[in-house]
Amino acid sequence: MAEITAFAPAIAVLPFVSFLVALFAGKYLPKKGALAGILAMGGSLVLSLLMLYTVATGHAHQSTLYTWVGGEAVPYELTFGILLDQLSTLMLVIVSLISFLVHVFSLGYMNDEDEGGLPRYYAELGLFSASMLGFVFADNLLMAFMFFELVGLCSYLLIGFWFREAGPPSAAKKAFLVTRFGDYFFLVGVVAVFATFGTAAFGGPGVEESFPHLAELALDGEASVNTFGFAPRTWFTIVGLLVLGGVMGKSAQFPFHTWLPDAMEGPTPVSALIHAATMVAAGVYLVARMYGFYALSPTALAVIAFVGGFTALFAATMGVVKREIKQVLAYSTISQYGYIMLALGGGGYVAGVFHLTTHAVFKALLFLGAGSVIIAMHHNENMWDMGGLKEEMPVTYYAFLSGSLALAGIVPFSGFWSKDEVLFETLIHGLGDSPLLLGAYAMGLLAVFFTGFYTFRMVLLTFHGEPRSDTARDPHGVRWKVKGPLAVLGALAAVAGVINLAPVAELTGAHIDFLHSWLFHGPEGLNGEHYEELLEGVAGYHAAYPLGETLTMLASAAVSLGLALAGAGLAVALYRGPEPVEHTDKLGALKTVLFNNYYQDEYQVWLAEGLTARVARAADTVDVSIVDGVVNFVSSLSLFTGDRLRRVQTGIVSNYAALLTLGLTLLLVAFGVMQGWFL
Amino acid sequence: MLELLVGVCLLGAFVTFALPDEYASEAALGISLVPLAVSLYMYAVFDGVGNALLGGDPSFETQYAWLTLGRYDVTWHMGLDGISMPLVVLATLLTTLAILASWTPIDERQSQFYGLMLFMEASLVGVFGALDFLVWFVFWEAVLVPMYFLIGVWGGARRKYAAIKFFVYTNIASIVMFIGFFGLVFGLGDSIASLDLPAIAQALRAGELGGLGLLSASQVATLAFVAMFLGFAVKVPVVPFHTWLPDAHVEAPTPASVMLAGVLLKMGTYALLRYNFTMLPGIAQSLAVPIALLGVISIVYGALLALAQSDLKRIVAYSSVSSMGYVTLGLVAYTMYGTGGATFQMVAHGLISGLLFACVGVVYNTTHTRMVGDMSGLADRMPVTVGAFVAGGFAYMGLPLMAGFAGEFFVFVGTFGADFAGAPVFTSVGMFGIVIVAGYLLWSMQATLFGPFESATDYEVSPAAVHDVVPLLVLVVFIVALGTLPYDLAFDAILDATEPVLPTAGEVAATFGGGSP
Repeated sequence: MAEITAFAPAIAVLPFVSFLVALFAGKYLPKKGALAGILAMGGSLVLSLLMLYTVATGHAHQSTLYTWVGGEAVPYELTFGILLDQLSTLMLVIVSLISFLVHVFSLGYMNDEDEGGLPRYYAELGLFSASMLGFVFADNLLMAFMFFELVGLCSYLLIGFWFREAGPPSAAKKAFLVTRFGDYFFLVGVVAVFATFGTAAFGGPGVEESFPHLAELALDGEASVNTFGFAPRTWFTIVGLLVLGGVMGKSAQFPFHTWLPDAMEGPTPVSALIHAATMVAAGVYLVARMYGFYALSPTALAVIAFVGGFTALFAATMGVVKREIKQVLAYSTISQYGYIMLALGGGGYVAGVFHLTTHAVFKALLFLGAGSVIIAMHHNENMWDMGGLKEEMPVTYYAFLSGSLALAGIVPFSGFWSKDEVLFETLIHGLGDSPLLLGAYAMGLLAVFFTGFYTFRMVLLTFHGEPRSDTARDPHGVRWKVKGPLAVLGALAAVAGVINLAPVAELTGAHIDFLHSWLFHGPEGLNGEHYEELLEGVAGYHAAYPLGETLTMLASAAVSLGLALAGAGLAVALYRGPEPVEHTDKLGALKTVLFNNYYQDEYQVWLAEGLTARVARAADTVDVSIVDGVVNFVSSLSLFTGDRLRRVQTGIVSNYAALLTLGLTLLLVAFGVMQGWFL
Repeated sequence: MLELLVGVCLLGAFVTFALPDEYASEAALGISLVPLAVSLYMYAVFDGVGNALLGGDPSFETQYAWLTLGRYDVTWHMGLDGISMPLVVLATLLTTLAILASWTPIDERQSQFYGLMLFMEASLVGVFGALDFLVWFVFWEAVLVPMYFLIGVWGGARRKYAAIKFFVYTNIASIVMFIGFFGLVFGLGDSIASLDLPAIAQALRAGELGGLGLLSASQVATLAFVAMFLGFAVKVPVVPFHTWLPDAHVEAPTPASVMLAGVLLKMGTYALLRYNFTMLPGIAQSLAVPIALLGVISIVYGALLALAQSDLKRIVAYSSVSSMGYVTLGLVAYTMYGTGGATFQMVAHGLISGLLFACVGVVYNTTHTRMVGDMSGLADRMPVTVGAFVAGGFAYMGLPLMAGFAGEFFVFVGTFGADFAGAPVFTSVGMFGIVIVAGYLLWSMQATLFGPFESATDYEVSPAAVHDVVPLLVLVVFIVALGTLPYDLAFDAILDATEPVLPTAGEVAATFGGGSP
């Protein structure tokens, strides 16, 4: 059974092959490379499920595939390897499933719409999937970083897919640049991990030394590592926060969130992939992947939780006023990844992974649903031109509704269970003597209300009421390639919560919190139980239940559900009816601020163009006038100047060569004479 | 074997000189394939062990008595170790590709142009292969002459100024370096009897340097180190000795830029490694902080200067200043990854800057402008060239699985934990270069390659000829291969040759490194 893991690399290799096929042969193929991609992703999905099964039967696996740099001479080797455990196989299944559905959907969104450049599109989609899958099963931080960057490259290429227009290339540049800024910190972190521990392995079966484990030992004084003069705990916090820079960039956490709404310039299926399962998911996945390291540092955890809680609220408020359907979804993504961060920082490892899973499903669904609407609307994305689409496109409507209920966190849809667990975990750890966590919790809780509101504002404006434009009255039909993936995801978004019905398990005593037991049975050092020990023993996290365990859980669920319903209810009350008006206009100046994203883009553009470009120009002035000025001044004192220069210049150019070579020869001769060589 | 390589290039240069213009381009390409094939064969059978200067056993070694200068024997001593072998392949590869890239833009005095290219190739191979000071120095100076003419004859509007500036600046640097080196030779006194570089390096590391006149041995060593450093720093170039470079690049015809950035700059860092860092490790370590500071300044300041430019060639030229700063930083680390990574980065940057210059050249051949504001949306008209441009841009930004990332990462990981004071801080600040480089390359690519097609010049923009894009694609393949398999292709041999450079405590003391942390 264990040998099946020998096929694991194929999970990433298959989409890589489809990249090559689409790139070099795509234009000769019937669907321009789509079929190769679908086939490859289908294969990856099957293999991922097999790996999941293998892990479930107790065969977690780690192996080194290729030694990038090795040998006797180097102090530590740099390798590529795969780590298949509970976390990575779950994520492999999510990524390959979403990517498979996105490929199918693309047949309807790209091929049927007669877009140009399809081989390039499918090639990039294949490379994107391959990079993400490689990132997911990476067994060490360097390999993770490398594939993390390739994910960034593919996002750049796909966001800028329509390169002949002005907007997409600009958005692509912004996405890469903002995330690169975060990745700078990440790379410093990777280098620091090597310099500190001499290994960047995450751990896993058969791995003797992993950096989280070494850090743990170092804190206990059982291992000595180079902490560059800091106390071990301080240094590990610094390293953790450096890596976190990359996480915040990719997962679009404040203040690195600004690239994500612009990234909507890419084709919509790509948005689904970026938001649900690849680019943005990569960031938080990394925190989960090296949770054993973060769990050692209460400071790093607090930063993660606080950034997450703040981002959740901050982004949700901006989602309230947007006009375009994909913009609303973009801000909801930022906000939802804030929740995942909040969970991970708040000591809820399982809750974070749970929300990552359900969010992948319902956000992919919502984007593909939006894509279906956009096809129907002839690529008009403004919700104020929509309305009444419910009657014309029932499959899209009900699927989208299922995703919206999940996003808003309405029971019993999947998002309710995961979001509730996120908030509950943060709450109990906050009550256990951590006011900072309580603050983060409060922001996350408040964001639930806004989430309910913007979600249902979006649903009502898009699908309900009377059509507000000619295209909405006579929408373009969509085919099975579009409806199929929607139906699959719509069903999943409704029921995916069953993988971890923690509150029900608590009430009934039935063991139906499957994800919990799944993650708690990971390999030594990489499982939820170990993380819980670290959180308690090292980071000092304690859970407190002021109303008793069961009642606290129910109260927490009731509060978050109540807020979600209140938000959704308010939206329904305001935007019901055949001709809704924009109630958010009553917010006045506040709306302007929200609509302009709190002017975040402005100051970042100023940092890039106002400040940096000005410094660069100043440097250029210094360089030309002073540095080069000195050079020219010195030369003006020398032989080659003024009249002489001009005179010599008119002569044969080789004069100079001769002159200088002569000078050197003379010098050599002078040395020779001095030293008596020729005697 | 090395003599064959140099000889073929020289002979080819003379043949090409003599040919009429209409045959020169094809002939030069055909001739240049011979040294390329020979160097690839040498790479395949390479069996050098250790460092050529420090008791290793170089491959293809030859040594003949040549002449005697007073007490000193000069021998024709050539050989390749793991440091020089990849650089020789780099030189022959880029020469062939640069010749191919010349087909479109060079249309006058062709036989002379191609003859000079081949002459330069011979000299470059000689520089990397020579193991005797005088042999090395003859080749070192001989490189300047063809480059001087390539800029001065086939260059842009201010070619005279740029050519003279290049020639005078680097030649003065050579004189300074020469004086510094002979300070060491004389200081060694009777302990050496030749100008053989291995003998000199080993004598210095054994602590046989004596005083000279009024100067003590440690003063001689320090002064010689500084003089040689200044001499080589101009070539690299290290800020603030870099101002000849953008002028030379902007005026040079593109194939000459490819050679200049791709190979000629590496002469500077190669010499720094062979002379300063191999011969006087103690001094190098005691001066580690100022040298690292110069490296970091080169990285950040060079990148900022690139950001301020709007001429594509200037952008790439200043990028070189920035990228070569990583080499300086890696050298000063004196760790396996640092020194080896610096050497690897020389090769990586040679390929990548060559690619980017070649791309800019193809764009210029077609649009007749290099200004960022003068064109947009080229991707629509020349997709393959733009694809290579984007690949080169991301390689420059250090995208993993391309050669630049490998080189930079080795340098970073080697320098972060190095022994000199503040190493993690210098490394972290220097690493910020990867953000700035992304800023200006993404900006210039967006402005020129993407968006709606426009061109301020009236030339018709159509896909480039096959012989224009072949060099680009070949370079992309090499860059990806080297980035994916760095150890198997080059880093293994490099590490084998750079390991002996790391000094023992005794060698540090013998070369006057005292009081370092």
